[in-house]
Amino acid sequence: MPQVFIDGQPYEFEEGGKLLQFCLDQGIEIPHFCYHPALSVPANCRQCQVKAGLPARDRATGELVTDENGLPVINYFPKPQTSCSLDLVDGMVVHTQYDSEEVAAIQADNLEMMLINHPLDCPICDQAGQCPLQNQAYKYGPEGSRFEFEKVHKPKRVQLGPNVVLDAERCINCTRCTRFTAEVTESHQLSIVNRGDKNYPMTAPGQILDDPYSMNVCDLCPVGALTEDYFRFKARVWEMSKTPSVSDFGAKGINVDYWVRDNQILRITPRANLDVNEYWMPDAARLVYERYNENRLQGARVNGAAVAWETAYDEAARVLKDADGSVLFLGSAWATVEDNYLLTKLADTVGGEVLGYIPYHEEGRGDGWLISDDRAPNAQGCERLGIRALDASLLQSKLAGASVLYVLDDDPVAAGVLSGADLEGVTVILHASHATNETLPHAAVAFPAAMCVETIGTYVNEAGRAQRLRPAKMIRSMNRSLMMAMGTGQSRIDRGGTPFDRWHDVTNKVDCLPGWTVIPELADRLGRPMHYKGPERVMDELAETNPAFTGATYPAMDLLGVALEDIGEPA
Amino acid sequence: MTPNSFISPQPAYVPGEPVERHVADEELVWTEDEQQQIAAFRAQYPTHDGAVMKGLWLAQDKFGWLPPEVIQFVAETLEIPYAKVYGVATFYTQYFKEQKGQFVLDVCTCFSCQVCGGYDILHYLEDQLGITKGETTDGGLFTIQEAECLGACGSAPMLQVTNGPYVHNLTTEKVDALLADLRAGNMPGFQSVTLPQDEDELGGNRRSDTDAVTTYQTPPVSETLH
Repeated sequence: MPQVFIDGQPYEFEEGGKLLQFCLDQGIEIPHFCYHPALSVPANCRQCQVKAGLPARDRATGELVTDENGLPVINYFPKPQTSCSLDLVDGMVVHTQYDSEEVAAIQADNLEMMLINHPLDCPICDQAGQCPLQNQAYKYGPEGSRFEFEKVHKPKRVQLGPNVVLDAERCINCTRCTRFTAEVTESHQLSIVNRGDKNYPMTAPGQILDDPYSMNVCDLCPVGALTEDYFRFKARVWEMSKTPSVSDFGAKGINVDYWVRDNQILRITPRANLDVNEYWMPDAARLVYERYNENRLQGARVNGAAVAWETAYDEAARVLKDADGSVLFLGSAWATVEDNYLLTKLADTVGGEVLGYIPYHEEGRGDGWLISDDRAPNAQGCERLGIRALDASLLQSKLAGASVLYVLDDDPVAAGVLSGADLEGVTVILHASHATNETLPHAAVAFPAAMCVETIGTYVNEAGRAQRLRPAKMIRSMNRSLMMAMGTGQSRIDRGGTPFDRWHDVTNKVDCLPGWTVIPELADRLGRPMHYKGPERVMDELAETNPAFTGATYPAMDLLGVALEDIGEPA
Repeated sequence: MTPNSFISPQPAYVPGEPVERHVADEELVWTEDEQQQIAAFRAQYPTHDGAVMKGLWLAQDKFGWLPPEVIQFVAETLEIPYAKVYGVATFYTQYFKEQKGQFVLDVCTCFSCQVCGGYDILHYLEDQLGITKGETTDGGLFTIQEAECLGACGSAPMLQVTNGPYVHNLTTEKVDALLADLRAGNMPGFQSVTLPQDEDELGGNRRSDTDAVTTYQTPPVSETLH
């Protein structure tokens, strides 16, 4: 295999790569701003410069030229090379800033130049704390600036579109944003305007940045020039915890990070997963963040009255045990695989029937990319458990002879599969996440449901990829599984914490519970206990016993998920 | 200036705000001849992007300047994104994004001209015309602009008239004469300026308007090469 020598160390490489990406893959950090693996390589920030060369060869014989010590003579490029655009060549010798003072000085000078007109308003900048310019100026930059004059002033607080705000003074003109709109979404809505020290990205006159994926430019921006309108001045990033999980926006299974402060989701950003969403997510999937914080159903209810959870369990178990007609169950495309699986087991226990899940598939809603036709995140997971899309007329006819309807994380009235009148004479047990749930007034027993940001579980996206949910915010009654998943075990340090830790503020903890806590409680009371130590064991059992979930254990899914075997069209 | 009196500049066109129109839709058409020229520009390059500068230049010749609707017209003609064409148009000072006077005087104040008195020429022009740089005289005859290097350092200080002829080796008398000529409607002609390697023909003097000095002599190119 061809070899490249980086800081004296030999590395083998595959032909066709560029030096910077190769170094990053090897864990060798080279500072850079304009380079992004998903975009073209313009080499315009000049930050990733290294010293590179090739061994000299005798022109006549082709033999390597050696010096008096017998070491090969290296012909270095006369000037430093931008590693992002430098093709790897067999035998290439590279010196990075770790090895060469010359390179370190070049990079420091480049940063000093970049900072000449940068406002250094980090104390009020939303990017501070997650800013490549800040981090790299700290690590590789000069100690100060020799520039003692008034900086160039450019437009600030420019609303580029509904979701993105521009501060042109902070811009370093890396062109990542313009390349994103030109190459990834091809909406071509941004361009660098003006020249020299006065340039910045802007839309064409009179036009706005209304690309449905516009906020990705805020993630791409290596400085605080482009920020998300909804998140501006909401919180400092170091006050928040960031949890890698999966979005419940549609069946794409977009990998995201949930940013939480005081148990509230303040921000959602994409997490790289090249098999699902690459580096991107649509704006609409970020703007759902308030759903997790507002109008949440709190505390168990029996016939509309707030009761202790134990009372609600007892009442639900009694209803299920004493049912004189048939007991109907509805799975949910919003609930995890684990919850739906436990629901099928509960249905077996009481001899009930799981009729299906309410489908949220709307033909033409999606855009063929990251916005799916299916609004719900886990329809595929239900299908793999043998729960099929619900036929509304079947439900109506079955309801006639039914005495109990058990609904997992859904709202059949709002979904239009049945009306309040249909539920006359039927006792409804409902898991509901929001107080605005329209089925809630008809529910005899209501269990507030933990949402995807509060639970542990698995979603299977429409392409059959099983991906893990991790709890991002705490609920009122944390159990051991949730604590362990949040990395907040029982140690003293964890209990102490800092004022900004996610478990600090009790006021925002929603009094709800995940299905994998509630359903086993009911099973206990029905005399058929489920012996699972948390949802991980549920998934272990599924991975072992159900061929549709082979291999989907928690360790295997980890951060990027597991592509499940194709099970074909549902029978 | 008190600290609070500073107001950030605004972009030339705030996104989403209505844009004033200067050219009516029915005027935004190419003639047969112009269409042929554009087809020729496009044929010169592998992609349409390449023709953007010639397209803008043609539009500026036609409309006198480049208001947004003209830039958009060029973008549509060449089938390239509007924002991209706008970006190109704003990059070059030679494309006029605002309405200018009949004669645009681009006075170079970049390094070589600056040390040879470029700012003196600029300020003299400003005094003579009663406007400051970036402004246009009443009646729309003259616009003064401060320009970056126009590539004529050998004859600094200099200026350019409406993206056309250069006026070299400026003095205040030359400026007066130029203004008089322009008022009379006479554009200066293109003037050839000697380069250092022609010094022998000029008796060792690269400037035609001053006496020869030995310290300014450039050794022959052959002597500077090893």
